[in-house]
Amino acid sequence: MEKKEQKRHQHKHSGPKAQKKNRKKEHGTETEQDERKRNPRAFSVKSAVRMAKTFHRAQDIKTKKHHIPLVDRTPLEPPPIVIVVMGPPKVGKSTLIRCLIKNFTRQKLSDICGPVTIVSGKKRRLTFIECNNDINTMIDLAKVADLVLMLIDASFGFEMETFEFLNICQVHGFPRIMGVLTHLDTFKDNKRLRKTKKRLKHRFWTEVFQGAKLFYLSGMVYGEYQIQEVKNLGRFISVMKFRPLVWQTSHPYVLADRMEDLTDPEAIRLNPKCDRTVSMYGYLRGTFLKNKCQVHIPGVGDFSVADVSFLSDPCPLPEAIKKRALNVKERLLYAPMAGVGGLVYDKDAVYIDMPCGHANKQQEEVRPTTELVQSLIGTQATLDVKMAASKVSLFTGTAALTPEEVQENVKQNPMESLEWDEKVQRERRRAVFADQDEEDDDDDDDDEGDEEEISDEEEDEEEEGEENEEGVATMKKHDKTAMETAAPPVKKQKVEERAEMPVFADSDDELEKSEGEETEDDESDDEEMEEGEPAKKSSGPDSGLCSEEDDDDEEDDEDDDEEDGDEIVKSKMSSKHPEEDEKDTEDAEIGYETAGALRWKEGLAEKATEAYLRQQRAAPNLRKLVYGTVAEEGEEDSNDEEELGGLFKVSRPEKSKKVRADAMDCSRFQPDSSHDWDQVEMLASIRDCFVTGKWEEDKDAATLLKEDDELYGDFEDLETGVVHKSKAGNKDQAEGGNDDEKNADNDDDDEEEEAPQVKFDDAEVQKNKRLEKKRRLKERFNTQYDDGDATYFDDLKEEMQKQAELNKQEFEDMDDEVRVQYEGFRPGMYVRVEIPALPCEFVTNFDPHYPIILGGLGASEGNVGYLQMRLKKHRWHHRILKTRDPLILSLGWRRFQTIPLYYIEDHNGRHRLLKYTPEHMHCGATIWGPITPQGTGFLAVQTVGGIKASFRIAATGVVLDLDKSVAIVKKLKLIGYPYKVFKNTCFIQGMFNTVLEVAKFEGASVRTVSGIKGQIKKALRTPPGALRATFEDRLLMSDIVFLRSWYPVSVPQLYNPVTSLLMPVGQKDTWGGMRTLGQLKYDLGIRNKPNQDSLYKPVVRQVRHFNPLHIPKELQKALPFKSKSKQMQAKGKTPRDLQRPAVIREPHEKKVAALIQALSSVYAYKNKKAKAEQNTKHKEFLKQKEKEDAERQKRLKEERKKTYRAMGQKEKKKLKSSLKGASKDN
Amino acid sequence: MEFEGCNFFRQRLVLSTLSGKRVKIRNIRSKDDNPGLRDFEASFIRLLDKVTNGTRIEINQTGTVLFYQPGLLTGGPVEHECHVQRSLGYYLEPLLMLGPFMKSPLRAVLKGVTNGPSDPSPDLLKITAVPLMKSFGIDGDGLEIKVVKRGVAPGGGGEVHFSCPVRRSIKPVHLTDPGKIKRIRGTAFSVRVSPQMANRIVDSARSVLNTFIPDIYIYTDHMKGQSSGNSPGFGLTLVAETLNGTFLGSEVVSTPQGHGDPVLPEDLGRNCAKLLLEEIYRGGCVDSTNQSLALLYMTLGQQDVSKALLGPLSPYTMEFLRHIRDFFQIMFKMDPQKPGEDECKGGEKILMTCVGAGYSNISKTIK
Repeated sequence: MEKKEQKRHQHKHSGPKAQKKNRKKEHGTETEQDERKRNPRAFSVKSAVRMAKTFHRAQDIKTKKHHIPLVDRTPLEPPPIVIVVMGPPKVGKSTLIRCLIKNFTRQKLSDICGPVTIVSGKKRRLTFIECNNDINTMIDLAKVADLVLMLIDASFGFEMETFEFLNICQVHGFPRIMGVLTHLDTFKDNKRLRKTKKRLKHRFWTEVFQGAKLFYLSGMVYGEYQIQEVKNLGRFISVMKFRPLVWQTSHPYVLADRMEDLTDPEAIRLNPKCDRTVSMYGYLRGTFLKNKCQVHIPGVGDFSVADVSFLSDPCPLPEAIKKRALNVKERLLYAPMAGVGGLVYDKDAVYIDMPCGHANKQQEEVRPTTELVQSLIGTQATLDVKMAASKVSLFTGTAALTPEEVQENVKQNPMESLEWDEKVQRERRRAVFADQDEEDDDDDDDDEGDEEEISDEEEDEEEEGEENEEGVATMKKHDKTAMETAAPPVKKQKVEERAEMPVFADSDDELEKSEGEETEDDESDDEEMEEGEPAKKSSGPDSGLCSEEDDDDEEDDEDDDEEDGDEIVKSKMSSKHPEEDEKDTEDAEIGYETAGALRWKEGLAEKATEAYLRQQRAAPNLRKLVYGTVAEEGEEDSNDEEELGGLFKVSRPEKSKKVRADAMDCSRFQPDSSHDWDQVEMLASIRDCFVTGKWEEDKDAATLLKEDDELYGDFEDLETGVVHKSKAGNKDQAEGGNDDEKNADNDDDDEEEEAPQVKFDDAEVQKNKRLEKKRRLKERFNTQYDDGDATYFDDLKEEMQKQAELNKQEFEDMDDEVRVQYEGFRPGMYVRVEIPALPCEFVTNFDPHYPIILGGLGASEGNVGYLQMRLKKHRWHHRILKTRDPLILSLGWRRFQTIPLYYIEDHNGRHRLLKYTPEHMHCGATIWGPITPQGTGFLAVQTVGGIKASFRIAATGVVLDLDKSVAIVKKLKLIGYPYKVFKNTCFIQGMFNTVLEVAKFEGASVRTVSGIKGQIKKALRTPPGALRATFEDRLLMSDIVFLRSWYPVSVPQLYNPVTSLLMPVGQKDTWGGMRTLGQLKYDLGIRNKPNQDSLYKPVVRQVRHFNPLHIPKELQKALPFKSKSKQMQAKGKTPRDLQRPAVIREPHEKKVAALIQALSSVYAYKNKKAKAEQNTKHKEFLKQKEKEDAERQKRLKEERKKTYRAMGQKEKKKLKSSLKGASKDN
Repeated sequence: MEFEGCNFFRQRLVLSTLSGKRVKIRNIRSKDDNPGLRDFEASFIRLLDKVTNGTRIEINQTGTVLFYQPGLLTGGPVEHECHVQRSLGYYLEPLLMLGPFMKSPLRAVLKGVTNGPSDPSPDLLKITAVPLMKSFGIDGDGLEIKVVKRGVAPGGGGEVHFSCPVRRSIKPVHLTDPGKIKRIRGTAFSVRVSPQMANRIVDSARSVLNTFIPDIYIYTDHMKGQSSGNSPGFGLTLVAETLNGTFLGSEVVSTPQGHGDPVLPEDLGRNCAKLLLEEIYRGGCVDSTNQSLALLYMTLGQQDVSKALLGPLSPYTMEFLRHIRDFFQIMFKMDPQKPGEDECKGGEKILMTCVGAGYSNISKTIK
């Protein structure tokens, strides 16, 4: 591009800017100075501590930014990015997808059904998938999503689905999440709109992260979002970067965008419920997928893959990146489930969808195979007729034949022709003997392939040449190969000629192919055809290269070969000439056999001369030797190999499987008998393995030294003043001239001295040398320079970088067919996965709106065992979870129902069973479930059918440990009652039932309710289960004795995958599974009777009687009288003799008594009166006295006051005078 | 998975344990006069049972059919009385393979024959396998093989302590340059014979090796009393160490008492030295005994490309490669590397390349 003349900057000469600048110029002379120079004190070190602190802080911040470096394993051509569009119903999901697709591809899609893949840019493809509100779908899609477009109805606000989905994402690795607000046009008031936006944005930020992107789609125009807004959203999507998620990067997965039922229709007719074979198609994501691995299909179950193959990409990225934007042809759209894609490829078939819509027509124009399609559309003939024709017309495998050769062996040469096989619905490669049908339309093909053909042919021939010595058994095969080509003796010549050149260095792949043909029963043939493989392969399983492997005397192989031969013959028969041709070939075979036998003998004689050739073939041989279908080798072959002492002699000893199968299992590698370590040559052959031997050019100390000299050249020892000059330098100086030139020259000279015979283009050599030297210098400089601040982190990063590069380069130049065998299918490939034995409901109830995911499983992830996990009830789930209630877990790829037991770890490491999960705390949970690597997150829901709970996610957590046994215990209290109490010993019953049980618990500690501790001693004979125990104190008969123990609990082995995809269409979100106990009771109307003891009753207290205190007599005697117990007994009846008799008075006596009575009462009255009088008198006296006292006190007080005042005054005076005196003194 | 015959018995069970795939082995010596599993195999199964949890083993009545359903590897302290028909190397090799993938670090005490004629001895594994494991990131002070008592065949009575740390994943390796041999070390041992035997072995071995390199030191190890086992015998273990940390080893033991002709210590020393030369001739970064160990660790590494240069593959290794393909669906790329025209560096080497399976230790507990 031409450089455009740019307008020069015009300086302002007047106005505020110019003034400002002027001002700056005037004052700026000082300010522009280096601050450090201008004010050195401000930058001096004031405090070492402070400086250390700032340094620490800087380092901390720097290190915080680091992430653990990971090896970058993203493939060169990554798979399309999965964009999940989710949101509550009626929020505009389909509309958004439609708009985005229109934005990227200019095509309209009416029904969004299944994943839609589009090419969005030069380096990016996108797969859109819509997520409905079934929790199953939400869980599945969260696991495969790279980007989530979360649609929110702004007029309504957030809905539970949004939060549920966010929580699901958090558990399964957080993909990128972008919010999209819709329905913004419903707001009439602008202020309210702004406020709502802000509120929603901040809530969204708290859920995702601060500053998460939230898009606003303001209104609809003709039922679509505004073009500019969609365009902006599209731009954001196409530049977004993604972080690798642990689960996704460690597991291969396919989000299937196509599904075909391959089951035999006859089998379905006989039994409509028979298991189905299904092939699924999609981009491989995550990591390498191995053939024959196990996959889990969420919603269906675990299956082992029967076959994986890769297909051509239906939605490829544009090949050459030269222009800015994509043209219309490159904006591809692929959505087979939605009926778009027109032409779909299979491994062995091409399906053509004949569309009537406009969009699809466009689609077809884009296809590279348009001609084929057009021709197919244009034909009037029926399929059968066409198939018949194709046999004749399509000859691609003729590459091995030059026209002359065709002339020569028209009869013998089997050719390959494509045929449409109606039975298996695929193209087949039929071997046709070309004697009758001349190629008419394939000439150009031939011409193209001529050169390759020749070389390939030669390879073939070589192979044959080697086979010659390999035994009679090979002969059959040899015949066939011989049939391909013309004259065997000529080939021999060739072998010898070519023996010097390493021809087979790259023959690996072809070999692999020919072998592959054997293993995969001819299925992959057509693919090879497409690739335009040389005709050598068209010879089918009998190409010369594999003969070595087949040539042993195993019957199976022989049979195979014969069958193959037959096939060829048959095919030929079918292609018209019946009997005579067959005879011909047979004759030919016999003829060749005899000839071959002879040549074999010749070969034996030439064995030694061909040793080198054999070594050339080592590579393919080795691979075949190890991984070949038939590992054994022929006897003859091995014999000579032993003598050769080659690499591959070792696997030979197994003549037949039987012998080897029962041989001794020993890893020791017996030494080669041919090596005699007494001979000098043998010793010499390993001389360079030691440091004392010869070194390589680039590592030799002398060379390195010289290089150093060149690098550092002359130097002067400053102390002594001696100038050291490199030899090279000296020379150069003598010659004079430019330094660089000199060095190069010098190198050249050296080179010539060392190897004068090597004469290359001088300039080239020089240039290379110089470049090499520069590179080395730079490297050295870099290492030295970086050494200062190269941290561990940098080293690690560099190491990872190197590894990533190696990963990319190692298999880069390999053919994909071979590469997948080493690596597995790499992510980004479009694969076809064939899965047998799927339940028929999968096919019959297939609904493309539900995603089908094939999640690859790692080693032993297909097994089940006990999983220990850390679990926390979700804080929004409003009920705690009960042990032994079934729970549906989403773990790894899987969704399954299981029965968890909750536990908590005690301080001593004991796992104690909990009846319920704690409210706000983590607890442990153990389940019986699929083995999943530790650290994998999971979430739990109670049901997947319908929406019953307000927030469906019940718990979340992480897997901690996997095991095959559990150690959860629950507390068990055994209760016993004493039936005989001695001093501290006690007999207890009711705790056990047999003597044996007691014997098991001898020595166990027991305790009473009142806290008296004891120990079980021994069982008693009767009653059974009774025992003797001792306590630290004497028990009461009313005591209850406890034995506290721990009882191991077993986890119920329920693992019930959620088979939601097998449900009928429309009912896929109604999967029920096992009900919880509560649900069961509710459904059956069972109500528990309350525990009688828990019921409230009126409290009735019994009166308690106490026994009297008994004090022993001795003690009583010793007590002081005060403490002696008082015997307050009731008086008994006085005995008769003590009873006094009644007195009866005389009348006189009565009178006297009455008088005395009267007198005494008078006296008493008088007395009383006098006393009262006395009393009043005394009171009066007391009153008087008090009065006097008070008076006196008053007077006294007065007096005292007076004296005290006088005293005080006196004192004051005294003080004053003394003060005065003191001041005078001073 | 189904297999036939008793050969490669250990490989199958080890790979089964690591991959979690169940294995059925039929026709174990079914045509033999003494059909079924031998005692040493039964002992090996018992050892596997000790280091795992939840393993299910079913053997039919004649012992010709074995069904093995692997459990999870637990590790921890294990003591095992190995059968004297095979030496401890037979049991130690699989433990080396399983060791890093246990739940808790393995501390195994194996008792039996330490030095036997058919299996690598603990001495050899100590000097060759342990440095190899270190290159895969399995290092630390926990990794150790210690010969406490030496017992030679047929009597046994030896004791070996093996401890191995636990790893979550294995590092990929690039062992492409073996480097040049800088020194040769060795141990000549003798038990229940004259201590002079060891010295005689040393002299003869040195006489062969001295032509290549002067830095040779062979220790003599004479064990007496309790730690000398039940039978007399002597032997030599040699190891060549290269500049790049490759260890190539060889060993020879005297014929067990009462089984064949006795050997002279001089012959034994010479033989062992020649075996070492053979091993050097084969070359590579891993010696022939540990080929399968290295390949296994490469297979179980992270999903990165690993490379290792090996000498010619032993039949045992070849079968191991096949088994790896069966159990882990991983194939190795094999590129033969021929020595140059004028280089004298022994025979052909094979560069093995593979992409790891991304295996992670599922037994290890996280806190």
